[in-house]
Amino acid sequence: MKERFDYLRASSIHDAVKLLNEPGVKSRPLSGGTDLVLLMRESPLICNRVIDISLIPELHRIYQQDNQIVIGASATFSEVIEAQLIQQTAPVLVQACAQVGAVQIRNMGTLGGNVANAAACADSLPALVCLNAKATVVTPVSTQKIAVSDLVLGPNRTLIPQGGLITDLRYTIPPAGSQSVFIKLGRRNAMAISRLTVAALGRQDDSGTIREVRLVPGSATPQIRRFSTAEECLIGRLPEEALFRQAAELVIEEMAQLAGRRWSSEFKEPVLTTMILRALNKIFDKDDKDIEMAGKPK
Amino acid sequence: MKIDFTLNGSEISAEAPADMTLLAFLRDILALTGTKEGCAVGECGACSVILDGRLVNSCLVLVGQVNGRDVITIEGIHGPNGKPNDLQQAFIDYGAVQCGYCIPGMILAGEALLATKPNPTRHEIRTAIAGNLCRCTGYQQIVDAIQATAAHRFQGGDNGRA
Repeated sequence: MKERFDYLRASSIHDAVKLLNEPGVKSRPLSGGTDLVLLMRESPLICNRVIDISLIPELHRIYQQDNQIVIGASATFSEVIEAQLIQQTAPVLVQACAQVGAVQIRNMGTLGGNVANAAACADSLPALVCLNAKATVVTPVSTQKIAVSDLVLGPNRTLIPQGGLITDLRYTIPPAGSQSVFIKLGRRNAMAISRLTVAALGRQDDSGTIREVRLVPGSATPQIRRFSTAEECLIGRLPEEALFRQAAELVIEEMAQLAGRRWSSEFKEPVLTTMILRALNKIFDKDDKDIEMAGKPK
Repeated sequence: MKIDFTLNGSEISAEAPADMTLLAFLRDILALTGTKEGCAVGECGACSVILDGRLVNSCLVLVGQVNGRDVITIEGIHGPNGKPNDLQQAFIDYGAVQCGYCIPGMILAGEALLATKPNPTRHEIRTAIAGNLCRCTGYQQIVDAIQATAAHRFQGGDNGRA
């Protein structure tokens, strides 16, 4: 039987981009393969050659450059979880990656692949958007840094041009004193596709006043983005339950504006409200801890 | 395409079509049928193997990806003279094996865990086998067997490997 596709291993980023853009053959980059291998079974015509980028050493590097953390696009979820630099600077991303699939999938699946595949339920996307992360996208003629929130247009749609390759993801280290958290709701604890997620980051000053907040619901809207109206209502205020509830209401309004009211809204609205309350409770120190009734992640 | 890699400690060289998965290659070309196909979409863990020290689903790995790398399958886990090693013996002793179909994957998940975490908590064991489904639902005994093996090895017990 004729082979449906050919396999080539790229030795460097330069080599990979060259191979991806060779005329006369439809090539796709293969990193973890957890999405692509299945996609190729369903849609054999999407490519006739895979370019394996998973063993390019520079695509696995995780390092600090000035005040930024740079993560090679082929770093697996496990590598991200184990990286001290990320544990120290972005717990939200570590927690999100730890929620992906099970150990086998986390050992294979990569951060770059999660962004490029842009599944509506991708766990790393809300965390990356919460970190204001940028992706470096390389083509034969250009190298661009694009905010992840702009790069992902909607479910399985991105701005990555044909033959383009994400080579790294980078974020500016959040200011000292920032707290971040990732909360996921699935149908069970392990191997669950996200129904809803929340990535949140916040910082208070010495008086307890909220100085910074970033709120990113995942699996809630077609485009993953920060919910700025809710964020703005929290800035400059002291954390308290009434304020958190007000912010949660604004999140729900914004979700309805962006995604429309859908068959699932009746379920998603109260659930997302609780998740936002939990996230805000987790990242901000309040004087009154009355919101315990909303429950806290374990 | 030509595939050269280390399988269970031996150098292997074989021909395989580029669009074949590692799972099909192991079973259909190398006739190593210990690695099972369950769901074939990376959900069930029956096809788990250890690739360069990491547990992966061989149904999602393309055969070309293992070129030059190190693979351990269930055939590579055993005690002296082909007898069960301590983890496999613990699975027998604790009644962790029912129909048996998930067990090769479970054993490899257990070995992968114990290689990096010699003294795991029960929660860590459950997390480590979260990607391995047992439809006989004998999880309790499987966790018991891995925990007992961890304790045995932690106390300096021989793992019984050849």
